[in-house]
Amino acid sequence: MSLSSSKRLSILPGETGRFAGILSGIILLLAVLPILTMIVMSFSGASNLDFPPSSYSLQWYRAAWQTIVSPDASDVLSLGKAMTTSLLVACLTMVFATLVAVPAAYALVRCEFRGKAVALQLMSLPLVFPMVVLGLALLLVFDSLPFQMSFSRLVIAHVILALPFVVKNCTAAMLSIGSEVEEAAQMLGASPQRAILDVVVPLMKSGILAGMLLAFIVSFNEFTVTYFLYTIDVMTVPIWMYSRTVSSLDPTVFSFAVLIVLIDFVLIWALEKLVGEGGVSF
Amino acid sequence: MTGLILENVEKHYGTACAVKDVNLHLPEGKLVCFLGPSGCGKTTLLRMIAGLETLSGGEIRLDGEDIGQTPAHLRNFGMVFQSLALFPHMTVGENIAYPLKLRGVGKAEQQARVVELLQLIQLSEMIDRPVSKLSGGQRQRVAIARAIAARPKLLLLDEPLSALDAKLRESMQVEIRQLQQRLNITTIMVTHDQREAMTMADIVVVLGEHRVQQVGTPIEIYRHPANEFVADFIGSGNIFPATILGGGRIGLPGGESIEVPSSAGVKTGKQVRMLVRPEDLQLSAPESTAGHNRLLGTVIFVRDIGSTIETIVECSGVSFTALSTPCQGIGLGVGHRVSVTIPAEACRVLAA
Repeated sequence: MSLSSSKRLSILPGETGRFAGILSGIILLLAVLPILTMIVMSFSGASNLDFPPSSYSLQWYRAAWQTIVSPDASDVLSLGKAMTTSLLVACLTMVFATLVAVPAAYALVRCEFRGKAVALQLMSLPLVFPMVVLGLALLLVFDSLPFQMSFSRLVIAHVILALPFVVKNCTAAMLSIGSEVEEAAQMLGASPQRAILDVVVPLMKSGILAGMLLAFIVSFNEFTVTYFLYTIDVMTVPIWMYSRTVSSLDPTVFSFAVLIVLIDFVLIWALEKLVGEGGVSF
Repeated sequence: MTGLILENVEKHYGTACAVKDVNLHLPEGKLVCFLGPSGCGKTTLLRMIAGLETLSGGEIRLDGEDIGQTPAHLRNFGMVFQSLALFPHMTVGENIAYPLKLRGVGKAEQQARVVELLQLIQLSEMIDRPVSKLSGGQRQRVAIARAIAARPKLLLLDEPLSALDAKLRESMQVEIRQLQQRLNITTIMVTHDQREAMTMADIVVVLGEHRVQQVGTPIEIYRHPANEFVADFIGSGNIFPATILGGGRIGLPGGESIEVPSSAGVKTGKQVRMLVRPEDLQLSAPESTAGHNRLLGTVIFVRDIGSTIETIVECSGVSFTALSTPCQGIGLGVGHRVSVTIPAEACRVLAA
């Protein structure tokens, strides 16, 4: 009869076969597995780290709650303090990285200058640079300074790490803004600076917000570089958790980890909401 | 002297020249069209007047005052961009009020002016719409309203209609022209569409090869092109080589001669280029050969597009295109013999 009723042999463009579906399922599972393990472990009823747990309870959450409300004397530093430091560092990183990235993105898109290609390369260097080497290098630099820095050096290090993400997002937002809207604002009587504030920045808004949230997440989760730079008085949550695991490995950490994953999850969800699909570049 | 005066204006990018030797006087209240093919420097010239490009040389004066160095935002010129450049994060009303806000106009007065302008462009009910919800023609009108909101001294239009479809473009041409006459605002429009220029302009400035080729009213430019560039760019024309024979006659490449208006100043024997518009040529049956400026030729192509018929006729070594209406049609086909009458007064000697 007609050709349309004949058996379909091939996959049409845009369709995925069953094999591709299974493959992506496996990859997705591998990606979520550590988090799932962690969540399961945090509900363990046993006192060791056997997986899967022999029984389930909320005891580790209770223990974690105890650590927060009445800090153990054996802890070098209370979680509350580490949490405050983490949040403060993350917020400052977010602010400074954005203050640097917005003008940088504007310059990278609008202006032609010598060494533009080099500047672009340097900007993304922290992404490919081995973290351990970066941490060590920063430690050497900070220690050679004639004055002591403890808190501020964490912020500086985190800004360096967050910058590629923020600049990338702001540049992407900037690229979609034609120079004509800026010129139109000037023709209507806005000075070049006013035109940027009134037109360019509002149109970059989603890119800036995405960059800010990413900066926050990068800073909040950062471990390797921070490990070289933290001091006994100033440490972040990941460092605190690590030092706790080293001293006494109990499933309380898993309860804390679940909390942190939850925070990250909310932030990333907020990011997607703010920017919409396809807007964020990691 | 009132109006806008350009004196020896030029612009280079490195060693490349965008425009040079531009000397123009644009009188107050007129609509002037910069017409030329793409890459002729017309947009560059407009952007220099706007203050968005620096001058490489020359002067721009408005009502006697040198404005060549004034930054764009202090010139108080309205401009409509090719992309319209409406602010997508503002509503229609906010877009139009923006220049007023920048000038420190009070809220109530801003509102009154916005309402007045929206009435003028017949979009009163759209005041709180985001600009993304408007159609192409509506956006066009909002862009114009925003450009004239602060009562600018000059309105600059950079190919403002190029994004619209043909039908809407035609009606917007009339609408903009009527608005410009009602407001009596000096306007400069850049276009590459000669029909648009002819429809709207008081004065057409033909630009080509980085310089001004001719300045004149639309009809002057069509009827009396200054050179071959203008003749070729404006309308379709039959441009062909000829030899001046003296006594008001010229020789065609094929050896025949026709009478032309006295071409004073051109020496006998000189090779020149001639222009004859297709609509001036008359075709008739070949038996009426004898007569004034009548040549015998062969039809080599017929393009019948319904409203007009273009017939390409080869005679005396030249392919002439003749334009006729269907009712004048004498039912010609390829290969037919035909008589072509070239009225003497329709012939123009272009620069040799």
